[in-house]
Amino acid sequence: MVCPPEVRAGHRADRVLREFGLMLGSLPPAARKALATALAVLDQGARLYPPSRGRRFARLDDRVAGAYVGALLARRDPAGEVVRRLKSVVVVCYYELPEVQREIGYDPAPYIAAVARRRLESYAPQIRAAEAAITAADGENP
Amino acid sequence: MISGLTTQDDVAEDVSLECAVLIVGSGAGGATMAAELAGAGVDVIVLEEGGYHPTGSFAAGTGRALRTLYRDGGGGMAIGRPSVLYAEGRCVGGSTVVNGGMSWRTPGRVLRRWAEQEGLRAISEQDLDPYFTAIEARLSVGPQDPETIGRDSELFKEGAEASGWAVVPNRRNQLHCAGTNNCNSGCPTGAKRSMLVTSVPRALARGARLYADCRVDRITRAGSGVTGVTGHFVRPGCRRGPHLTVRAQAVIVAGGAVQTPALLMRSGLRSASGQLGRNLSVHPNAVVTAFFDQDVHGWQGVHQAFQVREFHAEGLLLTATNLTPPMLAAIMPAHGRELGELMADYNRVVTAGPLVSDTGTGRIRNVPGLGPQVFYQLTDHDAVRVVRGVELTAEALFAAGARRVLLPFDGAPQVHDPGELRRLLARPVPRRSLQLFSIHLMGTARMSEDPRRGVTGSFGEFHGAGGLIVTDASIFPGPVGINPMETVIALAMRNARRLIERRASYCI
Repeated sequence: MVCPPEVRAGHRADRVLREFGLMLGSLPPAARKALATALAVLDQGARLYPPSRGRRFARLDDRVAGAYVGALLARRDPAGEVVRRLKSVVVVCYYELPEVQREIGYDPAPYIAAVARRRLESYAPQIRAAEAAITAADGENP
Repeated sequence: MISGLTTQDDVAEDVSLECAVLIVGSGAGGATMAAELAGAGVDVIVLEEGGYHPTGSFAAGTGRALRTLYRDGGGGMAIGRPSVLYAEGRCVGGSTVVNGGMSWRTPGRVLRRWAEQEGLRAISEQDLDPYFTAIEARLSVGPQDPETIGRDSELFKEGAEASGWAVVPNRRNQLHCAGTNNCNSGCPTGAKRSMLVTSVPRALARGARLYADCRVDRITRAGSGVTGVTGHFVRPGCRRGPHLTVRAQAVIVAGGAVQTPALLMRSGLRSASGQLGRNLSVHPNAVVTAFFDQDVHGWQGVHQAFQVREFHAEGLLLTATNLTPPMLAAIMPAHGRELGELMADYNRVVTAGPLVSDTGTGRIRNVPGLGPQVFYQLTDHDAVRVVRGVELTAEALFAAGARRVLLPFDGAPQVHDPGELRRLLARPVPRRSLQLFSIHLMGTARMSEDPRRGVTGSFGEFHGAGGLIVTDASIFPGPVGINPMETVIALAMRNARRLIERRASYCI
């Protein structure tokens, strides 16, 4: 619901979930627990959203689910803040997918390779000298 | 295998060590201290909670970087109205691995204020000049090579200059930076002279020992002095690994303005001033997103090439900073189809914003079960300046040709011209609607010669605990008003020199 509709293409949704899982794995246990709790509340909280007719979030059709998420994101209270943070994490995972990045014209690897090569071609002696100075004996460098 | 480096992979059982000086943290403060002390022949151990990630492992990939180089996936939150999202580095090299590499000396007026207010010694521009000079040579500080400056920076500069504002080229710690615009995910060429590629290898070459993936739980004490630390290795997935004990004559804490006071507090250390963990400044910043008719490709070129200095006396710095698609998407005020439509214009976007020198009203508290938590309340005065900084940024972007801008205020409509901007901002912007970020946290163990006012003395020595020194941005007596890295390094170098001169009294 928070990602663009193209998330349904291919196996993008699965890969977003995988990225999301990796992100969760990098958090300390307390933060993981808090995030899992927030997700559970988000899911069950949908029952209190009148258009859901008592259904949890996972059971909502796209239209109602989208409206529910939109309503939560628009809230100016701590609950809205938590949902906005969750949304941020999910869209980070979506826009991390290489094909999504290519679709919006972002393909940094060839660019990085090219400018890194240009750097070495232009400044190799200065780079070597400065790097050697880092571990050189005292008195030979700052 | 790097000589002197131990990671959690190398450790199967509990470890017990001894050294003269134990340093907690390998960022700007800790790594500098380690290099200076090891260079003087002192037996040094550095403990770093994060992992060792060499330059060769860095590539364009926001998610990987957030998971491996940042604490808590880069998602720290200072709780308040509004809350402020903040990021801290957690890896060998600390935040210097993921910062933008801005290297500026502490402004003289700031040093004078610190000296006058807190009675600090040896902190004038003259006192620090030798340290700044040495650092700038070691870290190759200077302006960018012209071929690396990106279109986003040029556009913002054009807009600022069209408004008649003073713009300066950024000074960065970079050795012929390639302009990969990958600073926040680790420099893939090693051109950014972070601690990872400078003071850490320098310290190791001089005999220091570095333990990565090692979290310090407590500082141990005997009487009024410190005796070392206890901690544990961190296994993948944040699992707890073998236990670690280090005995040392002196302990230097350089974990940053959140972790340093948290460690001191959970070790039972108290400051008679009552200021430990208080006076947090964050240099709040906000992001204005501008859409242009022309291709910008902001990711092609250096991270930040210029700073607008016109409003520095007001405590405002303005700069353009490109965001990767994941980071831009994270702050976009949209979701679903609308988000996709906004992001489709990614290559026509310039992101820029103000950095505000704030008045420091936050604090760090250890919350049982949750660990260190950050609380910060933006003052009304600072909120007004954030809004002014946003307005100035948007004006410059319009002057550069932006067709519409998104403002960092909850619920704000898109703005299409300067007149609309002025009309919108003629009404007060609710403080709680501001969307704020921080990467500069400081002030939570402030220096003061008066133990009733400050946590640490002029050289970072903790008032009331022998052998304990703090050397990171937490010792700043207030916001530095500029990118803080070079100030942290200069103070660390100076504090190391002081320790070396007095090594006999520390028995090191």
